[in-house]
Amino acid sequence: MFFSSNLLVLKHMEVQICEQKEHGQIIEISGDFAVDGPRRKNDVCGGAACGFSDAGTRAKDAKERHASMRKLFLTVALCIIFMSIEVAGGIKANSLAILTDAAHLLSDVASFTISLFSLWASGWVATPRQTYGFFRVEIIGALVSIQLIWLLAGILVYEAVIRIIHGTGEVHGFVMFVVAGFGLLVNVVMALLLGHHHHGHGHGHVEHDHGQGNSSHGDHDHGHGHHGVNVMTHHQHHNLNQSEAKHEKKSQLKQNISVQGAYLHVLGDSIQSIGVMIAGAVIWYRPKWKKIDLICTLIFSVIVLSTTIKMLRNILEILMESTPREIDTTILQEGLCRMEEVVAIHELHVWAITVGKILLACHVKTKPDADADVVLEKVIDYIRREHNITHVTIQIEK
Amino acid sequence: MENSRVSRDNFGVESGSRFSYHRSKSLGFQTTQGTAQQLWNGEFGFSGNDRRFAFSRQSSFHQSAEPHTPISIISNDSIRPLLSRSDSSINIPQGSYPQLENENIWKGTEKSYFREADGSSENFSFLLFVFSAFQIIRSGSRPMKRLLMMIWLNVAYSTAELCIGLFTGRVGLVSDAFHLTFGCGLLTFSLFAMAASRKKPDGVYTYGYKRLEVLSAFTNALFLLFLSFSLAVEALHAFIQDESEHKHYLIVSAVTNLLVNLLGVWFFRNYARINLVYRNAEDMNYHSVCLHVLADSIRSAGLILASWFLTLGVKNAEVLCLGLVSVTVFMLVIPLFRTTGGILLQMAPPNIPSSALSKCHRQITALEGVNEVSEARFWELVPGHVVGSLSLQVKKGEDDHPILVYVYGLYHDLGVQDLTVQTDYW
Repeated sequence: MFFSSNLLVLKHMEVQICEQKEHGQIIEISGDFAVDGPRRKNDVCGGAACGFSDAGTRAKDAKERHASMRKLFLTVALCIIFMSIEVAGGIKANSLAILTDAAHLLSDVASFTISLFSLWASGWVATPRQTYGFFRVEIIGALVSIQLIWLLAGILVYEAVIRIIHGTGEVHGFVMFVVAGFGLLVNVVMALLLGHHHHGHGHGHVEHDHGQGNSSHGDHDHGHGHHGVNVMTHHQHHNLNQSEAKHEKKSQLKQNISVQGAYLHVLGDSIQSIGVMIAGAVIWYRPKWKKIDLICTLIFSVIVLSTTIKMLRNILEILMESTPREIDTTILQEGLCRMEEVVAIHELHVWAITVGKILLACHVKTKPDADADVVLEKVIDYIRREHNITHVTIQIEK
Repeated sequence: MENSRVSRDNFGVESGSRFSYHRSKSLGFQTTQGTAQQLWNGEFGFSGNDRRFAFSRQSSFHQSAEPHTPISIISNDSIRPLLSRSDSSINIPQGSYPQLENENIWKGTEKSYFREADGSSENFSFLLFVFSAFQIIRSGSRPMKRLLMMIWLNVAYSTAELCIGLFTGRVGLVSDAFHLTFGCGLLTFSLFAMAASRKKPDGVYTYGYKRLEVLSAFTNALFLLFLSFSLAVEALHAFIQDESEHKHYLIVSAVTNLLVNLLGVWFFRNYARINLVYRNAEDMNYHSVCLHVLADSIRSAGLILASWFLTLGVKNAEVLCLGLVSVTVFMLVIPLFRTTGGILLQMAPPNIPSSALSKCHRQITALEGVNEVSEARFWELVPGHVVGSLSLQVKKGEDDHPILVYVYGLYHDLGVQDLTVQTDYW
């Protein structure tokens, strides 16, 4: 499969790669092959029922998904264990605070279950009603997760207010401190479990993101020797390394969004626990200052909400079908217009199914005498090479 | 095909008074947004008398989603559509946005932060965005003004409740006030979505902002689901605890709450149905707002009922009433949740049955120049605006223009406005 996509790139006689004009080089590929194998479309999308994946990317997807699922599973199991400990302890000590914390952990479990379910669902094969596959389920699951965080923050503030009003008088600062400390410990353990895996999976992410592109470039170099084609390879390499470095940096930030959501949840919980610990310590020290409970809760709730803003913004941008941040449509349009047969581009839409899977659709207007086939391949190649978008639908108009 | 088209047009003109549609000037395709809807409606069993549509007597109900032209982001001085489609060989009917005076406001604010796509100026442009949204609300449509009035009412009421509750130390009032505040926040988001969705598509949001309405409908539905769960938990709580610890609900607050929410239901009475057919994005938003206030009023009614039963001495009155309310709200909200979820998940449009799609598929494959049709994907941007992409494999040397015209015609009849067709030559 890589071999034949290799053929695609080298198929045409003279390909001028305009982007490299900055380097002052023009790459000429002269060669002569007969292409009778399967065409590019089938290569990229592997056959009839392309549900947005082919054998290559689907295997990598599945691997990453299993890794994330395993992590979430462990976290859920840990959470349930801790929750049962807390419930047992709370019933024994007959303390409402501990039971409330156990209820909080229960909501954690609910949120993780949602993330787990959406992770699992995103691996389902595409159906005729759901033509793009189920990748969006992740995003919706993450949205629900974040809404849960907001809801919980609201409930905590409400309970703090109620505590002030009830004013039963006996607020055990010590108990608060200990319970919150235990909660913090649990959350830290879970955060470490879920954690950001920057370095370990960095290369894995690069491969995942590039999918076809990377490996076909790798074979590109082999192919030259085989087919007797003159290519100045080191400039290609240079470009490749540049874009590879760029993509590696970006992919390090792209942890799976469900795991990210769970991580945010745990982070929010630990921040709240820190707040309760501070309040508990203060009350333990000075039992008179009960209002500090409410103030601390408010402040820390606001902090928790502000951590979710960034992820919420990403989710909203994807759900609104907006152009992903890594693509700049102006550059794309300019690059396409610089090709000589292309007169204009219109109806350009770039949008993401989920984090990292980008689609493009546009209408390209060409000169009347241009060969539609050639233009199509040039455009697709340019988009794939420069902007790393593999799933494109281009309508050529004369 | 000509005859059937003529007869369909007649059908469209007959019930034309029910819908407001926009005749577009184009060469090849004499079809409009409204009649396009009616075409497939007529085919698949909906009649003009179908009560599942929400009809409004207000004239401000014109805002249907129409095919839009993306705005060029390269031009420096003026905003003009990207190479208007009359130059292209396929003449797709051009729609245009209804000209509202609001657009000038949007254009003015847009120019001031046109090119800023980086994160550093994010906050600044977001504030401008919010500010201009409020300007629009002031000159907005009737449902928007009504929603604003409702929000003010709710805010006033909940602040009053909160203050009274804090001063007198009544827990029930405070909890009710919190609940109302949450609801108010959601309604404000709905209002914001209504205002913001009029903005034209730009370089970053190539499909425009109409999705915001669907998002706000989804958030409302989610909140209602949470509400029903929390009511169920409360019912369980009341079941476990013994009689002495029951909260005695304050009748006055419940009655006021009920009245305020019933006013809201009256404002949006066109949408007081469980299963609604959505014709455009605003339908969804209004429906979700209506369900929100309806659920709130059911909850207040349930609380009043519970207090009354308690005075009557019925055992477990609370559990019964709360459980009933929880189940009702759940049933109320599930259809909306599923529809909005389906749109956000980019599911195939529910109003185009798969048999129609496969029929189109077969018809295209039956053309002599076409080898294969692959990757036919359709999704709904907002209810009423279907986007699709298709990949054809055509025999080498074949002229693709008549094929493309045919394909466009086929799908346009189904209601797919934006279609991108990629032709590969074998």
